[in-house]
Order: sequence, then C-alpha cells, then structure tokens
Amino acid sequence: MSDFVSVDKLTLAYGDTVAVPELSFGIGKGELIALLGPSGCGKTTTMRAIAGLMTPKSGTIRIDGRDVTRLAPSLREVGLVFQSYALFPHLTVFENVAFGLKMRKAPNIRERVMAGLESVGLRDFANRLTPDLSGGQQQRVSLARSLVVEPKVLLLDEPLSNLDARLRLEMQMVLKDIQKKTGVTMIFVTHDQSEALALADRIVLMKDGRIVQSGLAEEMYSAPRSRFAADFFGFENILPGRDGGLLAWRPTAIRLGDGPHEGTIRGMSFGGDYRTYVIDSALGEIKGSVRAGLPAFGEGEKVRFDLPEGEAVRLEAA
Amino acid sequence: MKPSSTATGTIIGLTLVFLIGPFIVIILAALTAGNNLAFPPDGLSLKWFIKVFTVESFRISFFISMFLAVFGTLTALIVGVPAAYAIARYDIPGAGAIQLAVSSPLIVPGIIVGLALLRYLVIPTGFTIMAALFLAHAALILPYAVRVVTSSLQNLRVDVEEAALILGCSRLGSFFRVVFPNIRGGILAAFILGFVTSFNQVPVSLFLSGPGVRTLPIDMLAYMETTYDPSVAALACLLAIMSVGIVFLAERFLGFSRYV
Ligand SMILES: Nc1ncnc2c1ncn2[C@@H]1O[C@H](COP(=O)(O)OP(=O)(O)O)[C@@H](O)[C@H]1O
Ligand SMILES: [Mg+2]
Repeated sequence: MSDFVSVDKLTLAYGDTVAVPELSFGIGKGELIALLGPSGCGKTTTMRAIAGLMTPKSGTIRIDGRDVTRLAPSLREVGLVFQSYALFPHLTVFENVAFGLKMRKAPNIRERVMAGLESVGLRDFANRLTPDLSGGQQQRVSLARSLVVEPKVLLLDEPLSNLDARLRLEMQMVLKDIQKKTGVTMIFVTHDQSEALALADRIVLMKDGRIVQSGLAEEMYSAPRSRFAADFFGFENILPGRDGGLLAWRPTAIRLGDGPHEGTIRGMSFGGDYRTYVIDSALGEIKGSVRAGLPAFGEGEKVRFDLPEGEAVRLEAA
Repeated sequence: MKPSSTATGTIIGLTLVFLIGPFIVIILAALTAGNNLAFPPDGLSLKWFIKVFTVESFRISFFISMFLAVFGTLTALIVGVPAAYAIARYDIPGAGAIQLAVSSPLIVPGIIVGLALLRYLVIPTGFTIMAALFLAHAALILPYAVRVVTSSLQNLRVDVEEAALILGCSRLGSFFRVVFPNIRGGILAAFILGFVTSFNQVPVSLFLSGPGVRTLPIDMLAYMETTYDPSVAALACLLAIMSVGIVFLAERFLGFSRYV
C-alpha cells in the first residue's frame, strides 16, 4: 500500500455509541482532500482520531508507513487547526506560534516563527494577545502554529465555515498556496459541498460515519452515484426512470416553457444568474432554473416543462 | 421616589447599618482613653492599640493563626487544584460524590468538626492539637479551593489543552504550560479567600486548643474571660482592617469578585 496516510477499518465510539464504523480511506503524499458530509456524520471524530486525541475501538491509522494508532499525539507529527482555533489565551501571537518549536527545542525559533507569520500575513501582529484578534486572524495564527513545526499531515476542521465570503476566498488561496509551497498533505473537513469543490483535489463524502463515495472533485460534482451524493451536490430533482432506475437533474438541466409535463409555479428564488422555480406537478415537486435575463413566470402560473433524459445522471443506488 | 425604590433604599440602608454599625462601635470603643470596654468611649486615645502588641499570648496565637491560614490554604490548594481539574475534565464515576465530600465542611457545622477531631483523633491517638488544627483548617478551606478553581477551569476550553498535546506537550506539561497560567488568577483568589476564612475561623478551632496552642480568635475569647479591657476591641479592629485590606487589594489587582 503506497498511501501516505491510510485509515483502515477504523471504528470510533463515544462510550458504547459508535460514531464511525469501520472507516477506510487512503491519501497520497501532498494531496489536499476534503472530508465532506452533513453535520454529525463523524468528520471531527475522524480528525481527532488521526491526531491522536481519541483512541480507536479498532482499526489502524498509518502515516508515512508508520502505524500511529496507539501513538501519543505529540509523536505523530500532525498539525490540527481546530474549528475553534484553540489558541493559548495567555500567550502572544508570537509565543503561540513558537510553542511547538520550543517543545521540540528547535533552533532558529525567532526566524521560523516570523516566517510562519509572514506566510499567513500576520507579521505585524507578533506581539498582540490572541483574544484581541478577529476570528479570521486567530485562525491564521492557529494555521501558522501548526505549520511551523512542519507536520507530515495538516488537519483542518471546518476552516472556512466561520468566515465571511471575502475572507473565505482569501483563506482558500492561503491554503492552496501552502499546499503548493510546502507540499504538506492536508485533510480538511467541511459540510459545504462548494467549499470542498473549491479547495480539494479529492473529496471523501461521508454519511453516518461511512463513506458514500470518494473521488476527484469534478467527478463527484458531475457523476454522483447515489441519491445521497446527488442530493448533496445539488441534483435537486431525483425521479424514477422508465426502467425503474433513478435519474437526477440539476435545476439548470430542466427545460421550462415547453415539454410533455405541466405544473404550477409555487415559488421562486433569485440567485443572481438564475431564477429557480419550485413547481408542483404530477411528478411531484420539481425545481427548475431559468437564466435571469429571460421572461419570468408568475406565482400560480401554469407552466410546461421537460426533463431531458440526455441531461440526467443515472444513479446506481438509492 | 417610587415605593419600590423607597423600599430598596431602606433595605440597603439597614444592611449597611447592620454590617458597618458594629464595626464603628468597636472602633470607637477601642479608641477609648478609659480602662473599660464601653460605648460611647470615655475620651480618645491609641493606648489600647499599643497594648495589643505587648500581650505575649496574642503574639503567639497570631503566628499560629498565620501559620494555619498560610499552610492550611496551601495544603487545600495542593489537594484541591488536582481535584477540581479531575472533576472539570474527566468523566470520573462518582464526580458528584467527590463534589459532595469536598463540600461537606461547608455543610457540617464547624463546631461538630472540631469536637469530633478532639474526641476521636486527638484524645485516642495522641495526635497533637496543632496537627488537628492544621487538618481542620485545610479541610475547611478545601471546598473554597475546589469551587473557585473549578469555575476558572470552566472558562478554559478543553481544546486548548489538546492543541498543546499535539504540539508536543505531555499531559503534565500541558497542565503546567497551558492550564496553570490560565487559572492562576483563580488559584490566587482561592488562596485569599481561604486565608481570610481560616484566619477568622472560630467554631472549628473552639475545641482544638491546648496549653500555648490557640488560634488568635480563640485566644481573644479566652482573654476576654479574664480581662475585660478594650485591647480585644483594638485587636478586632486591626484584624478587620487586615481582612478588608487584603480583599480590597485583591479586588483592585485581580478583580477578585470575578472568581468568588
Ligand atoms: N464528545 C462526544 N460525546 C458523545 N458523542 C459525541 C461526542 N462528539 C461527537 N459525538 C457524536 O458523534 C457523531 C459524530 O460527531 P462529529 O464527529 O462531531 O460530527 P461532524 O464533525 O461530522 O459534525 C455525532 O452523532 C455526535 O453526536
Ligand atoms: Mg465537526
């Protein structure tokens, strides 16, 4: 097995409640992967186990060929950026970033800390106390603190969720940049498919502690295999096909104004480039989008529509 | 004024009268130039304040009380901080029982604790009075230590310790490098609270006195039984000023009331 990080039949439990049953996946060196799934599906739990903050019930975790399943967190050479950032409130920004280096009695601490702060754009904040910083700045301190010790694997728990749209874009670029410059293997957790698509090379989609599907970001986006995956990636219309299988369409794949079916417009949401209509029909609720420039439909209006089979994705499983 | 604010004003006024009134009476009584404890004072002088320092037994019992307050409180903290940490961080079975055991000195009347220690520890085993006093004071302060430290631990997120573990600390290392610096204020507050509580303690110490071994408050009681002069009032004033001074400084530099 040539994976840099490999998780094999990992079972994680809180007391008698199993949160993650027999999870297996592998990550190549230098890859940036996303653990994607709804809240409560076991993403944070999985990260904590990889970092060594939680002892697995069974299964193994390997990093760079070494079995670390029972190893103390301090010996695993992983970094973890907590969702809450978990900065040391009694220390300055500089001291926070220097913490791991001091523990290792590393040489050149001053230069390495300043270089770390530089890479996240916080050089001028070295002497500030961390509770005085904004959430975005705290997160970057946390990132620098994990990176300066040069971990083999960097884990990030919901790194984009608490940021506003502009900061989110900025942080995405910071993370991509770090991946390019340091080549560190990164696993980040998110419940938002758009974050996963924007950042990850590969996506592992989870549900109830199990992997539903994993693959390249584009593959996941265009070819979900199950109802759950399709739903998660925005295929909002899932209907049985003529042969009994399931077909899925994005709202943009539905043709409105013409076609063999008829329904009544129940509501509309404006999304910039598109207007998305909710239509009540004999097939159930249909969501269809029309370019914003085209004539709009009114609420209660009857509308004809088509579900082009050529545009549908065929799902393998329910 | 609305009736409710009249009532509030009255209650606050009465509270102040009953809290501060006795203090003023004692100060004035201690400042008397006469030879009897009396109010209003018979002329004004500082002679009883000076007399306090010449009474041999006061000097000895002051040091005993000081010793008990300092080392009893330190002992309570050495036991109490780890106990508070365990209660706050680990899902230990019987945490409720530990909490109750640790708070029992708050519930059981001190006089019973003192009597029990005398009857079942000092008399049958030959334990010294001093050792029994020490034990009683440490036990008395323990609940305060646990409480105050627990509440400052609750303000420190667990993941901060986990971050330290990942960055290379051992469990013990993370306690000293991360937990301790963040609860230092709480520990200091617990120390001050424990010190003042121990120093002013009467009921627990009442039965635990022997030849030459008495805490200051008990010594004052004993002194009053034989000598009814105003030096006890003067000493009471000095002690009150000391307690108020300590708490004032603690509030000023620590924000003491945050912790208590
Ligand atoms: N400390 C805990 N004690 C008990 N159950 C927990 C604890 N933390 C998480 N869980 C449970 O484990 C499951 C997975 O949680 P988590 O890994 O936090 O999910 P995610 O990060 O994907 O939102 C959830 O059902 C959650 O309720
Ligand atoms: Mg989570």
